[in-house]
Amino acid sequence: MADRATLSVRSLVIAPGASPVTQAIAPGEIVGLAGLDGHGQERFLKVLAGLERPAAGDVTIEARAITSFRKAVASGIAYLPRDRRSTGIFPTQSVLDNFAVSTLSRDMRFGLLSFAARRRRYEAYREKLSIVAPRPDASITTLSGGNQQKVLLARALALEPAILLLNDPTRGVDVATRHVLYDVFRGLAADGMALVILSSEIEEILLLCHRVLVFREQQVAAEITGNEMKSDTVIAAMFGRAA
Amino acid sequence: MSQTWFQSTNARVAGAFAVAAALQIVGTLLIPGYSAPFAIRALLVIASLLAVASIGQTLVVILGGIDLSIPFIIGFANVVAAQLYGAGWNFALVCVIVGVLAVLIGALNGLISRGLDIHPLIVTLGVGMIVQGAVLLWTGGFPSGSAPAAVSAFVSIGGSVGPLPVPALVPCVAVLTLLVALVLARTAYGRRLYALGSNPGAAPLALIDPVRMWTVTYAASAFFAAAAGVLLLGFTGSAYGDVGQPYLFQTIAAVVVGGAALVGGRGNYFGTIAGVLVLTEINTLLIGLGFRPSTMQAALGLVIVLLVSLYGRERHVSATI
Amino acid sequence: MSGFRRMAERWRGAGFATVLLVILIAVNLLLNPSRFHPSAWGALIGLAAPLIGAALASAPVILAGRGGIDISVGPLMGFVNAIVIQLLFLKLGISSPLVIVPAALLIGAIVGAANGFLATVVRIQPIVATLGTYLILTGMTLTILPAPIGPAPVWLKAMAGPWSALPLALIFLFWWLVRQTPYYDQLMAVGSDDRAAYTAGVPVTKVRFIAYVMTGILAACAGLMLTALIGSADPNIGPTYTLIAIAAVALGGVSLAGGRGGLLGAAIGAIDIFLLQSVLTAFNVSTYVLQIAYGVILVVAVIMTALQERLSGRKG
Repeated sequence: MADRATLSVRSLVIAPGASPVTQAIAPGEIVGLAGLDGHGQERFLKVLAGLERPAAGDVTIEARAITSFRKAVASGIAYLPRDRRSTGIFPTQSVLDNFAVSTLSRDMRFGLLSFAARRRRYEAYREKLSIVAPRPDASITTLSGGNQQKVLLARALALEPAILLLNDPTRGVDVATRHVLYDVFRGLAADGMALVILSSEIEEILLLCHRVLVFREQQVAAEITGNEMKSDTVIAAMFGRAA
Repeated sequence: MSQTWFQSTNARVAGAFAVAAALQIVGTLLIPGYSAPFAIRALLVIASLLAVASIGQTLVVILGGIDLSIPFIIGFANVVAAQLYGAGWNFALVCVIVGVLAVLIGALNGLISRGLDIHPLIVTLGVGMIVQGAVLLWTGGFPSGSAPAAVSAFVSIGGSVGPLPVPALVPCVAVLTLLVALVLARTAYGRRLYALGSNPGAAPLALIDPVRMWTVTYAASAFFAAAAGVLLLGFTGSAYGDVGQPYLFQTIAAVVVGGAALVGGRGNYFGTIAGVLVLTEINTLLIGLGFRPSTMQAALGLVIVLLVSLYGRERHVSATI
Repeated sequence: MSGFRRMAERWRGAGFATVLLVILIAVNLLLNPSRFHPSAWGALIGLAAPLIGAALASAPVILAGRGGIDISVGPLMGFVNAIVIQLLFLKLGISSPLVIVPAALLIGAIVGAANGFLATVVRIQPIVATLGTYLILTGMTLTILPAPIGPAPVWLKAMAGPWSALPLALIFLFWWLVRQTPYYDQLMAVGSDDRAAYTAGVPVTKVRFIAYVMTGILAACAGLMLTALIGSADPNIGPTYTLIAIAAVALGGVSLAGGRGGLLGAAIGAIDIFLLQSVLTAFNVSTYVLQIAYGVILVVAVIMTALQERLSGRKG
């Protein structure tokens, strides 16, 4: 798996009639996606993950086209979904099960799952993300929302992705946990991972990201970097006004 | 919400085993000879047959589905095996043919149900009826043939293996139980089965292919139903198309008494084994007490409801928010 | 929503079943004009009535969602049949409809309430709870009535002849009234998303409980129609309606996941199955071929319904 890879977006049209988007997301970069709900930023993220098909254009990683979620994962993409309850956790399953479900093959010893290997893998991420789960073999629903989210992040990171796509990762997460997650995201980027973060909170984007793509009417209305990264600029772009 | 996996599922399984043991004690106290060696052997053989038929239902229920085609597949395997063997075919070949056909039928059940998002209740019922009709058409309603002596010996209540005073079926089912439990707990298939049953919406994002899982699981269910059909041929001696009918509700009851939730993601095969023992105990006890079949049926219904209300209750909607 | 759109909405779910209905009526008319002559309609409807009744009865609990299902509908029909003939008519010599009908409905309501209690208050999975009552009712029926026995009161037999449309019309009138009440909206809300409904203050348990009682009462009606049709009591016929009724409901566009469809769809699904049986019988094939064809058409029909829903979902 590629440790460092550039995600290339070429003339991508997310909805018929919208102007195309061309972007390159480099290793170590944190890119924010902002916009009013339903203005295309979520669709853009899902296209990057191979979960939705664009109207035109393509997404590639090192010349490999992302046309399905499986291909995306095989090319080094990991995706953290927005709605924990409906598309994230497996509520009847343990914390460990929830952590390992995407990467089962790594715990196989002689064709059978090794609980010890799984536990070792989990412990590494538990420490890194400071997951608070007194009993990892207990149901994931015994954890707080923030810790459930950390387990899901651990599940995504276990894929050892080159590019991490985060769909509103701090939704319904307490403030303390948020700051833990921010530190983790910065650390991952420092290690060369590329991160794309969709967030409904502008402050969060300004705090974390190197640049922001603001979506309006299914296209990128503005790309904001450097000194321009202020909440008025972003809000103005979201509402389609000049700053 | 505070229930852990251990508290819920394992307590239900332990509860079911305790009930089975209690019923055995009640039977011994009330009925002379209830714990006699022959009676115990008969009970174990009958329970083993139900256990084999219930493997598929367990897997399918963990997945969040249900399989109503099991009794029809049992009847199909029972009749086809007898008919072909009676026509002079090699029995090993007969078993392969029956097994492959069953797997194909089961795969179709899973493929249609998940692929087109149609409730498996309807699909498995329809497919089951087709299978039964086809068998009836082929045999003209009067199947002939029998099982080879080896199969009969394998399941015979009077049989024994080495020092064990039980037919080979019983230890084989015990080994099979461990294998099924191992597959569920320790393989990628098993873990994906629980995950998919637990939250179908999250499964694709965890790299689980729902259609493939459903196809494989329903195929496995049909395969074990066919195995039960062939074993029943050895047990009863002659083919009978409706031999599987009692297994329709019994497999579901065994799985549920064993603590699995029909909404998916919960349960295990030890629980089903406990459920199988409970059902077999109840049946034996009621027969022993001289109940008529009609009264027995009513009593069985009552007991299922009582047992499940003791430990098989679901959460209130407010606890699921 | 305008009345017309509401109407269209209601028909869309049962779209394929409706198309199938038209085709089957046409085929039946061609194959067997005398059987479908208006003068024979009374007997014809009487013949179809128990299945339609069973499908109508199965619908409310399915609409209520979260695995809601009542597989004791068939056995309850058989139980009502046995009580009405064996106990009321033959033993006690009661033949007045003023006693028999309320008694039957009361039995239905009691059994429905028992199912509802088990499924919603005790919270046993509905299929298991009603499996329990299935076994209990079948056992009790066989105890009361070990073998078929007759006859039935004359007025009741007329319900399978000239007056056969009356009970069905009454059921639809009843359902039409239910649709005018807030209860109907609550039922559909609980069926499509019980958590949201609960959060919005809908008494989920009560709504579901009432659905089970309605199913019980409608199953008792179906039991009376069955009694009218066979003009006797038979302990073995009732249970055979269970699964076919559920298949009819599904065919009629009622989602087994709850919250979608209605009694009209269920009735169309049941009529489809009845007409299908009738076509297959007209071809005079063996019962075995009949069963295969029956299964094939059931599977194909649900597949068509699913595909049609997908297509209309995409367009919408």
